[in-house]
Amino acid sequence: MASTQQLKSRIRSVKSTKQITKAMQMVAASKMRRAQEADKAAEPYTHAANELLTYFASQGVTAQHPLFQARKIDTRLLIVVASDKGLAGAYNSNIAKTYINELRDDKKNNVKTKSIAVGRKASQYATRLNHTDILGVYENLPDSPGSSELHAILDTAIKNFTNGDVDAVDVIYTKFISGMVQQVIVKRILPAGFEETEVSTEISSALYEPSVEEVLNGVTYRLVSAQIFQALLDARASEHSMRMMAMKNATDNASELADDLTLEMNKARQSAITQELAEISGGVEALSE
Amino acid sequence: MNLELITLLGKKVDQEVYEVIIPTADGEIAVFPGHEPLVGIAVPGAIAIRTNKGDDDSKLDYYAISGGVIEISQKHVRVLVDEADASSDIVEAETKAALDRAIKMRDSAKNQVELEKAHELVDRHTVRLKVAGLRRRHHR
Repeated sequence: MASTQQLKSRIRSVKSTKQITKAMQMVAASKMRRAQEADKAAEPYTHAANELLTYFASQGVTAQHPLFQARKIDTRLLIVVASDKGLAGAYNSNIAKTYINELRDDKKNNVKTKSIAVGRKASQYATRLNHTDILGVYENLPDSPGSSELHAILDTAIKNFTNGDVDAVDVIYTKFISGMVQQVIVKRILPAGFEETEVSTEISSALYEPSVEEVLNGVTYRLVSAQIFQALLDARASEHSMRMMAMKNATDNASELADDLTLEMNKARQSAITQELAEISGGVEALSE
Repeated sequence: MNLELITLLGKKVDQEVYEVIIPTADGEIAVFPGHEPLVGIAVPGAIAIRTNKGDDDSKLDYYAISGGVIEISQKHVRVLVDEADASSDIVEAETKAALDRAIKMRDSAKNQVELEKAHELVDRHTVRLKVAGLRRRHHR
C-alpha cells in the first residue's frame, strides 16, 4: 500500500487537474451558448436566399446559370473544417476520419481531390496527406461574416468551379444538432443547390434591376457564402459543445479519482494508527508479565 | 409596409416603415408602400429609413450596408446584406482611424490580393464614415 505522503500529493495533483478541466468546461459552455446564438441568427438570411432561389427556379432562370451547372465529376474540392485547438473529445478525429474516407472514395472512383483546410488541426492533417492538392490553409478564423478569410475561401471555391478546375465543392464539417448530438456531414455547396421553400412574399412578375443575370449572380453568391458561413458557425458550436462534454467527463473522472484516493488514504492512515496501537498494547502486555 | 434588414448576424430591422431609401448601382431608389414588385442589387452605401409619414429628415435612421440583394413587393421590403451597422453603433473616431489604416495599406500593397482587400476595406470604412456623418448633421 502506498504511503499516506504519496497519496496526499497525488490527491493534490488530481484536484488541481480537476480545477483546470472545470474551468475549461465553463469557458466552453459560455462559448457554446454564444456560438449557438450566432448559428441561429444566420438562419433568416439563408431562409430568405432559399426563398428567392426557389422563386427564380420556378421562373426557369437558374438552369442556365454557371454556378448551377452539374457536370461529370473529375476533380472535387473539399473544404475541411476542424478546430484550432485540441482537447475537444472526438471532434477533430471524427472530421479526420470522414475526410480520409472521402479521399479514399475519390481515389477508388478516379476522382482527383483538392482541399482547403480550415483550422490548425485540419491543416496539420491535410498537409501530411499526399493525394490531395492544398489550395489554401486558414487558421484562427474570426467569426465575422465580412472577414476577408471567408471571402477568400468563397472566391477560391467559386473561381475554381466556374473555370472548370473542379466540378464540385463539398464542405466537411460537424453539424450542430443539439447540445448532446453533433454529426460530421459532407455538404455539397457547388453546383449550387437550394432548399425548396415556400415563397411567401408576393414577388411574382417582379422586375429585375439591373438584369436577371446580375440579380441571380448576387443571390447565388450570397447563398453559397451563407452556406459556408453557416457551416463554419455549426462547426464552432459543435466544437465548443464537444469540448464542454469532454471537459465535463474529465472533471467527473477527476472527482471520482480524488474520492477513491481519499478513501485509500484514510484507510492507510487508519491502518497505520491501528498498527501503532497494537504495538503499544503489545509492549505494555510484555512489560506487565 | 414591413421592412426587414437581414444580415448573416441576424435581423437588424424588422418593423413597419413609411419609406426606405436604398443605394443601387444606378443611384438611390426610394421605396414607398405599394411599390411595384422588384428584385435588385444593392451596392455598399447608406440605407435611410423613415418610420412615420410625417417624420422630417432629422428623424431618419441610417444603416451602413455592404452590398446585398433587395426584394420589394407590395407590402414588404426585404434587404439581404452581408453586414449592416446602425449609425448609432458606429464610432466616428475609430472608423476614421480604420479608414486611414486601410488607405495606408492600399498604398503599400505589394500584390493584387492585398490591394483588393485594401480597396474593400477603404470602401467599407468610407461608407461607415459617411453614415456616421449623416447622423451627426441631423442631430446637431
